[in-house]
Amino acid sequence: MKARIAACAAAALVAATVFVSAHHSAVAEYDLEKPVKMSGTVTKVEWTNPHIWFYVDVKNSDGTVTNWGFSGAPPGVLQRRGIMKTSMKPGDVIVVEGFRARDGSSNASGNNVTFPDGRRVFTAMEGFQQR
Amino acid sequence: MKLRIAAALLTVTTLSILSLSAQGQLPRMPDGNPDLSGMWDNPKPASGPPRGPATVFDKSLFPPFKPGGEALFYEPRTGDARHDEPRAFCMPSGFPSAFLGPYPIQFVQNQKYLVMVGEFMRVTRIIPLDGRPHQADIEPTFYGDPVGRWEGDTLVIDTANFKRWSLDDYYYTDSKEYRMHSDAFHTIERLRRTDMNTIAYDFTVDDPKIFTRPWTEKWQLKLHPEWEKTGLYEMVCEENNRCPGGNCRK
Repeated sequence: MKARIAACAAAALVAATVFVSAHHSAVAEYDLEKPVKMSGTVTKVEWTNPHIWFYVDVKNSDGTVTNWGFSGAPPGVLQRRGIMKTSMKPGDVIVVEGFRARDGSSNASGNNVTFPDGRRVFTAMEGFQQR
Repeated sequence: MKLRIAAALLTVTTLSILSLSAQGQLPRMPDGNPDLSGMWDNPKPASGPPRGPATVFDKSLFPPFKPGGEALFYEPRTGDARHDEPRAFCMPSGFPSAFLGPYPIQFVQNQKYLVMVGEFMRVTRIIPLDGRPHQADIEPTFYGDPVGRWEGDTLVIDTANFKRWSLDDYYYTDSKEYRMHSDAFHTIERLRRTDMNTIAYDFTVDDPKIFTRPWTEKWQLKLHPEWEKTGLYEMVCEENNRCPGGNCRK
């Protein structure tokens, strides 16, 4: 059953295309001209309102590691999609796609997360077609 | 015993549904007025393509501006969250903006009141249905003073006494400016349940300091009974406010 919910969630969410945050200033905080795609190990998940945050250790080309912070949709929105607090845990190796913060910090929006089993879920607010 | 009760309940429910379907009737309160209770999705245009992540007012419907109205309506961004987007540090969205985002809205109704609870920040409107006038001499607020009355099967909600604040989620569709209503903002909502799963929701904006005349959006609300199981999720902005006082932290 859990697998079915996860599969449904994945199928439904991949269909959503473009990111937006309906609370925080997505357009102001994140630069839609700077998409990012990173792979790394989850170090912390903040399952909190108004947006979840998750942190990922990403290895740089020079061998150093940067801890990136990604913000997603509120917990309730994700739960209604079948994405629960336990869906992502510290230690999980994931791929995250999003948009880099305008302020140059190591933050980005967390729009899509791909798990090692290939499951890709949409973790931002439900999308709209970018115009 | 439990099984028997469950079976009886199921039978009653099924019969009720069949009865509704057969007679084309909609849920009603004991006084005969429509019962709008339920879990509804946020308002969306009744026709045409989606206009954004949340519902935003359709620019093409706007009447001409009054002199100076455009400057009052479009607010250029400055880069300072305290000016540009007070919601970024958990200030209220106000009405109607808080009810336009992609979050469920639960309607709870009795014969005296309709209560609208939005999941977004758990914002609540308590709307008296007895046709009373607006309160006099009250301080303007983010959510205004709503009063309701029935015109046949249509619920008419008139809301006034607003302070100047964000109109809608236009902020998220434009990186240079956003839209604000004036302190003369006044709204008229007309809600009519057209079938079990739909409320036709006509939303009239009357802002005489900005526009030469009111205009009306044709929206609709769709019922989501499947959301009843979990109900509205809690959403407390301060739980992880990244921008306390407008100072966003990394």
